[in-house]
Parts: sequence; structure tokens; C-alpha cells
Amino acid sequence: MAKNKQKTMAKSNAIAGYLFILPFIIGFILFLVVPLVQSFYMSFCAVTSTNGQGLAYDWIGLKNYHDVFFKDPDYVPRLLDELKNMALFVPGTLIFSFFMAILLNQEFKGRALVRAVYFLPVILSSGIMLGLETNNSLLASMSDSIKQDDSMTTITKTLENILLTGEQASKFFEYVINLVNQVYNIAISSGIQIIIFLSGLQTISPSMYEAAQIEGCTAWESFWKITLPMISSLILVNVIYSIVDFCTKSDSQLMTLISDTLYAKFDYGLTTAMSWVYFAIIMVILGILSFIISRWVYYYD
Amino acid sequence: MKKIKAGRQPNRSLAGDIGVGIVLILFGCFFAFPLVYVINSAFKPLDELFVYPPKLFVRNPTTKNITDMFLLMNKQGIITFTRYAFNSLLITAVGTAGHIMVASMAAYVLAKYRFPGSGPFFKMVTVALMFNGYVLSIPNYLIMSRLGWVDTYLALIIPAFASPMGLFLMKQFMESSIPDVLIEAAKIDGAKEGRIFMTVVMPLVKPAILTLMIFSIQSLWNNVGTTYIYSEELKTLPFALRTLAQGGVARTGVSSASTLFMMILPVACFIFSQSNIVETMASSGIKE
Repeated sequence: MAKNKQKTMAKSNAIAGYLFILPFIIGFILFLVVPLVQSFYMSFCAVTSTNGQGLAYDWIGLKNYHDVFFKDPDYVPRLLDELKNMALFVPGTLIFSFFMAILLNQEFKGRALVRAVYFLPVILSSGIMLGLETNNSLLASMSDSIKQDDSMTTITKTLENILLTGEQASKFFEYVINLVNQVYNIAISSGIQIIIFLSGLQTISPSMYEAAQIEGCTAWESFWKITLPMISSLILVNVIYSIVDFCTKSDSQLMTLISDTLYAKFDYGLTTAMSWVYFAIIMVILGILSFIISRWVYYYD
Repeated sequence: MKKIKAGRQPNRSLAGDIGVGIVLILFGCFFAFPLVYVINSAFKPLDELFVYPPKLFVRNPTTKNITDMFLLMNKQGIITFTRYAFNSLLITAVGTAGHIMVASMAAYVLAKYRFPGSGPFFKMVTVALMFNGYVLSIPNYLIMSRLGWVDTYLALIIPAFASPMGLFLMKQFMESSIPDVLIEAAKIDGAKEGRIFMTVVMPLVKPAILTLMIFSIQSLWNNVGTTYIYSEELKTLPFALRTLAQGGVARTGVSSASTLFMMILPVACFIFSQSNIVETMASSGIKE
């Protein structure tokens, strides 16, 4: 009797669950899965538009993929460049946004305003704004003048040169210097990561810190023993988000190449092949990273 | 509120406060720079826009750029400015509301229940995040035309419902911020799934909802939508403004005014929800 009742409850739970998730699944399949499968198929085809309506697909096997690696002169170098930048950018973004989220989580006057300011780039750096900015001759001339300033010999430049001559450590210094050069870009693109960390920090109950404090825990200890474990699941989220965000930025060199192939050459087969190769590489990186990180993620419940 | 304040600050010194302040201000300048630049550019007269090297602050502010924008907009054809704005507002409002509902419902189930296929499904969603729009552009168009949605609002609104990013963020947030005990307690008290979702889960994830809302508003509000929309009266505001802005060098002023104009709604929404986030956060520390 008892067993029977349990079964029906589990069943009704499952039905409710499916009902809840159904709208999303329908949309997901219709607007993502189906197009993806189609595009995967097209990457093995030469896609041409027939002069009436519609497209013609001719199966050409792996030729598009062969072209991506061996025929297109830009793809491989740009891809490597992209990955190298990512290795620099993503850790930088994570550390920066974590640090900023902790600062923004403190109590101080005008906190709402400061937080608002920190989220602004997210709103600014998208869609039409980006289009307007790149179309805009103003910003182009601005970045030129910044570059000119950069070429002047300054103390930091000299210091950079001195540091880079050291043999052992030069790789490390190069990394740090690159990072410092990128500070503006990193800061601008970490708005969402800051918000994600911030919302995570705010779900940590203050009573935990109180209890720790009563037990004689210092702020330093409570950071490592409370804040970091409690927020570790969001670190994984942010790693994934940062990588995705970095890789799908529409102004990166590789993405420009992909969109050029589509809109200028109208070679849809090659475009999809390029995208699938790029996608596969990102997937492998993400898979490895999330495997490593999820091993020390701590779940509270 | 006061109690939390006392608990949050165990032992901070004045020097620490000053240090934190300096760091925040320094980076705050970084973050505010684009905004300050956009606002100032919108009020610069044409000659000042081309000053080299560019100046950040405007010296002789003028509203000519903005009046020009509205003038050109109304001169352009039969379609008035308000119609474009209405289109964009409608798409943004319906799309955002639907997206939040659909994504949170799915996220709730994925975060709190185990059922056959839930794990692989979430993995698929994460994978789907990685795709760029170019891959999907042509197949998506084919689907829209098969559904008969080309040249309707639906083509812009419905795909936004199932955007994977919302589900991804929401699921992660729900997993870490809704105690299972709370749901169990509601169940023991006899609440049905729908009720639990609306009265227990949704209020608890209000901060995440607002974050999602901002994302969604921002992407829908900026949706140019020319791929699916041909009728002039259904076109969106970003499209209209972009057409204006691309009219050559002489339109630089209008272009910077329209950048400012497009910013108003997302920034306003953020400032509104920001104060709300702070409020809900302070009162929702009920882990345990």
C-alpha cells in the first residue's frame, strides 16, 4: 500500500516536471537543435542558392573541412591567435570579476550607484552599440591616438624592456605585461561575471560569517573557508560564461573571418565547417576545464 | 538590515576602507568611460566631433544632434518614429516576459528534480551556448518560413523564449540558492507544483530574474531583426536608427545621438532593478 502510494507520487512528480520543462524543450529543439543538425549536414555540402526559391545542397564529403585547414590562409593562424588570447583573457577576467564582486559586496555609501556603473559596459557593448562604434570614425581616430601615446618611451616601457631581458622569468613577465595592457578590455568585458559572483556572494548567509567570527575566525580565514567554497559552483559558471563570451564576440578576428565567408563569399558550406571546427575545439577546452573545476566545486545542500 | 550590517563587517580598518575606495573609483572610471564618452558625444557639435586628438568632454554643448535625429526620423517615410519604438517595445516586453517564465520553469525542474534525461539535456543546453549566430542563420530562416512566421513579430519573439543562456544561469542560481527543505516543507503543507513554483521558488530567485531580465531586454531591444522582417511598419527601432546613422560622415552627430538614445531603456531598467536587487538580497539570507 505504502509502496504503491509512493510510486504514484513519483509519477505525478515526473509529469509535473515534464510539463514545466516542455515549453523550453519545444523551443530549444525547434530553434537550436534542428538548425544545428541542418547546419552540420550543410557543412558536408556545397550550398548554392537556386535562382528560384531555396537552396541546393550537393554532398561533397569532407572537402569543406579540408579547405578550412589547408586552403584558407587565415583560418589556422587566427584560430591559434584566438586561443592564445583566450588563455590570457579568461583567467584575467575571472580574477578581476571575483575581486570586484567582493569589493562591491561591502557596505559603503553610494553602493547602488557604484554597482550600476560597473554593469554599464554590459549594456553598452552589445548589438547596435557595437555596430555604431565600429562604424564610427571617431573611435577609430581615438584608438589611433592612444596607440601613438603608447609608442613614447616611458618609465614603464623601459621597465618592461628590462624585465623581459631576464631569461627564466621573461615568459611570466610577458604574461603579466600583456595582462596589464589588457586591463581595460578585461574590465569592460567582465560586467556579467561580476553580477554573477555578486549574486552568489549575496546568497551566503551572514549568520555563517557571524558564527565563524564568534569562533575566532579572522576575515582572511573566513574568506578561504566560507566565501570561496560557497561560491565555487559559480566559478565554474563564470569560466564557462567567459569562454563562451570571449569566443562568440562578434568583433574577434576569427568571427570576422567566419562572417565574411558567409556574407561576402556566400559560401555557406565553408562557413558552417569553420564554425563546427571552432566549436569542437572550444568544446574540448570547456570539457577539460569543467572536469577539473567540478572536482573541487562544493555544493552546500 | 542593521543587524546584517553589523555582521558583515567583522574588523575593518580605516586604511582598508580608503584602499577599497581607491580601487573602486579607479576601476569605476574605466567602466564609466564609455558611458561618459557616449553622452558627451551626443551633445557635441559636428566640428567638435572631429577634433583631433578627441576630447572626452563637450565644450559647446548642443542639442542639434538629437533634434536632427527626430527630424530625419519623421521625414524618412510613412512610418513614424513612434511605430518603430512601439515595435521594439512590444518585442522586448513580450520576449522578456516569456523568456523569464519559460527559462525559470525549465530551470526549476532541472535544478531540483532528477528525471530520466535531465542530465544529458542540461549538457546539451550548455553545449548550445557555444554556437555563434552565423551557423544558425540559414537553417533558422528555413524553419521560420516553414512555420509561416517570416515577416511577423513571432519570428523575433518566440526564439527569445528558448534562449539557452537564461536557462543556464537560472539553473545554476536555483541549485545554489533554494534550499530543498523549503520545497519539501511546502509539499508537506499540500502545495501543488505550480503553487510551489510561483510562491516559493520565484520570489527566492528574484535577483536572478532581474539579471535575466536585463540580459533579455538588452538583447531584444538591440535586435535589428532585418533577417525576418520585411514590412517597414514591423521594423524595429535599432534598424531605423542604424539606417540613419549609416548615412555617411555628415550623420556622425545623428549617429552619436542615436547611440545615446538606444542606451536609455537598458540603463533605466538596470537602475530600477538594481535597487530591487539590493533589497531582495538583504532579506533573503534564509539558508537554513
